[in-house]
Amino acid sequence: MTVRRGEIKSFDSGSYVATVRLAGSLAVWLSGLPVARNIAAGEVQAGRSCAVIFFDDANPQDAVIVAVYT
Amino acid sequence: MRTLTADLLAAQKKATAVPYVRVQIRERIGDVARLTWERLYSGEEVDRPHAATAPGDGSLVRVRVDAAGQLLVQRVATPGPGSDFGSWTALASVPSTSPVALTAAGAAVLLFYVDTDGVTIRLRESGDYGQSFGSPATVATASGAVTSLAAAMKGDGTALVIYSAGATVYRVKRSGGAWGSPAAWSNSIAGVTGLACYYSIDFNVIVTGSDGVGAAKVWTAIYGDGFNQPVDAWSLLMELSRADAGSNVTFRAPFLDRPDLFRLSFVEKYTGNQAYARPLWSHVSRFGDFATNTWREPVPFDLACEHGVAMAHGGGHAWLSAPNGVWRASTAGSVLDLSDDILELREDIAPFDGRVRITLRNDDGRYSDLTAGDNRLIGPSCQVDVSPGYVTDLGARISIGPRYWIEGWEYDCRPGASTFVLLARDGWWLLRHWRARREYAWSAGESSIFQILSFLLSRAGLECGFLNGSDALTALKPSFAVHPGEDGLTAVQRLLLMVPDVIRMAGETAMIFNPEPDEAPVYAYGADHAILQGRYAVTDCDLNRVTVFGRGPVVEAFDWPGISDTYDRLLQVHDLNLTVASDAQARAEALLRKAAMASLGGEIVVPVNSGQELYDVVSVTDARAGLSAAPRRVSGMSLHYSRAGKPVYQMRLRLGAV
Repeated sequence: MTVRRGEIKSFDSGSYVATVRLAGSLAVWLSGLPVARNIAAGEVQAGRSCAVIFFDDANPQDAVIVAVYT
Repeated sequence: MRTLTADLLAAQKKATAVPYVRVQIRERIGDVARLTWERLYSGEEVDRPHAATAPGDGSLVRVRVDAAGQLLVQRVATPGPGSDFGSWTALASVPSTSPVALTAAGAAVLLFYVDTDGVTIRLRESGDYGQSFGSPATVATASGAVTSLAAAMKGDGTALVIYSAGATVYRVKRSGGAWGSPAAWSNSIAGVTGLACYYSIDFNVIVTGSDGVGAAKVWTAIYGDGFNQPVDAWSLLMELSRADAGSNVTFRAPFLDRPDLFRLSFVEKYTGNQAYARPLWSHVSRFGDFATNTWREPVPFDLACEHGVAMAHGGGHAWLSAPNGVWRASTAGSVLDLSDDILELREDIAPFDGRVRITLRNDDGRYSDLTAGDNRLIGPSCQVDVSPGYVTDLGARISIGPRYWIEGWEYDCRPGASTFVLLARDGWWLLRHWRARREYAWSAGESSIFQILSFLLSRAGLECGFLNGSDALTALKPSFAVHPGEDGLTAVQRLLLMVPDVIRMAGETAMIFNPEPDEAPVYAYGADHAILQGRYAVTDCDLNRVTVFGRGPVVEAFDWPGISDTYDRLLQVHDLNLTVASDAQARAEALLRKAAMASLGGEIVVPVNSGQELYDVVSVTDARAGLSAAPRRVSGMSLHYSRAGKPVYQMRLRLGAV
């Protein structure tokens, strides 16, 4: 399990998933990352930093954005 | 095990034999020539559209557009150091941003440009290697402003021009000396920023632009000539590089050539903080063709420009050209044979690691200057081919063996002795030095494990081979990611944890296969081939029970005899990629299987078997340990060859269960 820093690029409040630019990836985003439901949708704004827990380092579907911060 | 000739096989089984080890160095990485570029010209020309080609007489023809809208051409008959690359001849007036294209075959040189109306594509043709060009001829009139242009020609004069107008790519083909009508391609993208084309069995195309969601991309495509694609049919686009919308990164100015294998360049332009625009280059893997789309990770080239570097080859050289620069690199491959100078060689091969240490005589200072003669081949990452063998009745015989790349070297100087020591590592080391410079992600169902492995290996310049892989290797298509900063070795090891398969690095090729428990031995030790020392071990399995938690299924696999002996030793695995019970069951059994392979240990020391490879199944006969043709799998191996002091030519094989 690893924790990585990222930047919110977009957010789908319907499916509660976000597209994130993980630190180190200048030009390619990771899409479809689940966002913790305890984070209010209005807080998941493009440009804000976020913390992503990867339960399985290699599987982006087994991960969750647990914090959004500026 | 590598196949050996009968005389070599007989020689290595003799009680006494004369060893022979061939060591050669080549300027290659992943068995692909490393082109060493030498800049021959640095001028003041501005960075604008340009092209280059090398006709059949060894000359170099370049064309560029200047800021005043002049189409300028240059031909250097015998390009080399001291050539005049600064003289240009005006040929026509064109829009100052007009794309140009050049292609050549034998004495024919075709120069394409866009007329001042911005839509008419003209051709000036030369039949004398570019010394003179004929009158302009109209090839096509585009429906809108032509923004990109590329061309390629076959030896029989068949030629293809591709151009973009808006977001559509069109092609015009010349067959039998007559130009056909423009036709739009069958693909769809949102924008085109550059095109390149090179003919080799098909018309091979590079496209830069943006897709429907605004992501900038570099694609490859094939316009068929009947080999990898039907005649006059477009392939689908294959992604080579990408940058998401809003990243401020775009791609442009691609060029394509095939001096030995397909090589390309394109420009990556970043407009964010600390903006840059620089060419990147890449090539396909050693045995990959254009259709396999197995390109190594694009490497930056030391030049700041937006219009890229054109590529051409001829006269024993590969050429790079920009309006204000010309570079060349020799395509002749030199070989440095070190065999006669070897004092000692130690090779160690294990799963995920292989290395060699070669001690060479340097008593006369023959390796003191690595810039002179063939010694210049001894450089960082140059290729070291190690081939063990014996001197037989028919002469020296070898088995083409492992391949390494130089990690470093040492001079060992002491009173009365001077040696030069080369240190080199195998393909795993190349893989470990590839690091993801962006997020690489595959959605579930998108690519099989084998396809992801092939991609990752090719990014490190390695080939992916397939012997007898498991079903899971091609059936499982997991959600998988390689995060920025992670290395290729880590990513490959994660993938291998999902399947029972293993990888043996054979030169630049990672051979993937499933080590079956009923595999028959390929070689016998202890009877014809002597065992000098033996140590045979039985060890407890680290685990004998595996529980796999998927997305839904929870399955278990048991080693019942093991549980009976030691009670259960549990491994729990969580993988949300596993949604089907049979896949989860296969995972559990694969993990048990790998644990079982480690349940036996020990090693034997034998005279060198020139064809021995990692993971081979061999039989071992040693009555002292009660072994009679007992099958074992080679889980590691070391070779020691010494001609200094007491001669040694032995191999130490680490043994595991089959």
